[in-house]
Amino acid sequence: MKENTAGSKNSVSRFMATAAPLVLLLVLALVPLVGPGPNTIRLLFISLVWITASVAWNILGGFAGQVSFGFAVFYGLGAYATAISLNAGLDRVTSLALAALVGATISLLVGLPTFRLRGPYFAIATIGVSEAVRVVMTNLAVTGGASGYRITEKGAFNQHLHFYMALGLAAAAVAISMWIRHSKLGLALISIREDQDAASDLGVNPYGTKLLAHALAAALAAAAGGVYAGYSAFVHPNGVFGFDISVAILLMPIIGGIGTVWGPVIGAVVYGLVQEELIASFPQFHLLLYGGLLILIILFEPGGVLGLINQLFRFVKARTGVGAHT
Amino acid sequence: MAPILKLDRLSKNFAGLAAVKDVSFEVEEGGLFGLIGPNGAGKTTLLSIIAGSIQPTSGSIVFQGHEISGAKPYHAVRAGIVRTHQIPKPFRGLSVRENVEVGLRFGRSKRAGDKTNNAMEFLDRVALAHLHLMPASALSVGDMKRLELARTLAARPSLLLCDEVCSGLTQTEAASILELLCDIRRAGTSILYVEHNLKAIMSICDRVIVMNSGQKLAEGPPEAVQNNPSVIEAYIGKAAHK
Repeated sequence: MKENTAGSKNSVSRFMATAAPLVLLLVLALVPLVGPGPNTIRLLFISLVWITASVAWNILGGFAGQVSFGFAVFYGLGAYATAISLNAGLDRVTSLALAALVGATISLLVGLPTFRLRGPYFAIATIGVSEAVRVVMTNLAVTGGASGYRITEKGAFNQHLHFYMALGLAAAAVAISMWIRHSKLGLALISIREDQDAASDLGVNPYGTKLLAHALAAALAAAAGGVYAGYSAFVHPNGVFGFDISVAILLMPIIGGIGTVWGPVIGAVVYGLVQEELIASFPQFHLLLYGGLLILIILFEPGGVLGLINQLFRFVKARTGVGAHT
Repeated sequence: MAPILKLDRLSKNFAGLAAVKDVSFEVEEGGLFGLIGPNGAGKTTLLSIIAGSIQPTSGSIVFQGHEISGAKPYHAVRAGIVRTHQIPKPFRGLSVRENVEVGLRFGRSKRAGDKTNNAMEFLDRVALAHLHLMPASALSVGDMKRLELARTLAARPSLLLCDEVCSGLTQTEAASILELLCDIRRAGTSILYVEHNLKAIMSICDRVIVMNSGQKLAEGPPEAVQNNPSVIEAYIGKAAHK
């Protein structure tokens, strides 16, 4: 009887874990049809782009524990690759696929030397790579240098199309993240995060596994940059390769809950909303807010917003004896 | 019986300091081979060289007829050499069962006739099955040592390298771990057992090598080694021996 109850509880949990994201996806897909203003759609679009970038970073930084400050490289290269492809006459989906391919390829070039380093040395190396790429792109005449690169729109601007592309990509990123967490690759990444030498002593190839995770993450981050470029129709080096972009991509999973599937999603939504709402009124205030938020999270809840929610559920459960959260 | 492992003049220098110097020995297939020595003798360094964690300065390691010196640890695992650690290294963010899954999914492929194919069966062998959902970080030291053994067994070694599995354990815990090692050996796995504690190693090994200051001091059956004057001297000192 007890086993039956536990079994049905597990089935309910499994159903909820599958159904809840699908319901959320359906609700988001219906939003444009309800007729909200273009500003709301824009806000959702930005949040979806950040969700993809945040989930991408978490594959390497959260699951594998490799803290990279260089994801703006892939985001920016994806944006430029998409812009160039669109101007060359390729369709949007092919352009995004190409951007992802560029991101994955460059990730191997970055990863081959940097994954020979560990911990803070790896993090510092990624800062160097990020700044080097930004400087090169600022001086590269063929892509407009510091003046940026404009996409020549061939038809009328369709905000809903961009929204659905961002939604599709974010859904794919979350699905990939969920798959990785429960796959053999996920097990290898987490074991590397916990103790790289012990993982290697059990047959895990840390170098190859990190390269693979990096390539997957870079492909997603590049596609996120591509979706953003398609929407904005203009990219410039400081806008997509800036160090603040790298920090933002790293900050979102930490705010939401690093190393989890849903933490980076929550973090990206919090970041997207705070940034968009505050940046216009108080151009520097959002930085203060992120800094403060980061200090509070590190000090009091390293599990981020998701950790806080779990604590709240445990508290309610302890008080009432119901409301178990899985 | 043919040797499963053969070391020939193996050396390792750290910035001019010889941690292991010209060590040669053979481990027989299916044997339980003890490696003892006082602190700083070079036992763990030697184990790490065999497991691929440390690259040797010179010498050769032949495992099942193949030269493997300089192989990466994950290549050694796939060849059939798996090690435990003196200080347990559990993956703290994973459950007890997931820890074993790492060995099961990344270790050597299943051998012919091997019926064990599930993490729970390996946990059952070390009496940890009832704790499979618990985070590895919540285990006691004794249980962490058992978990180390379970996940190394899950990687299906032909040669198990055990590094001081009894250190830090109570007498009862140590006795049950030693019994477990005998079971593992009976199941067909060769064992190279590094230990600081003479009594523990003498009770279960069929052959013992003694190291001191990075060099081989003595080799032979436990009784002969135990009564060797240079071994006694290395352990309790010249003055005390006199």
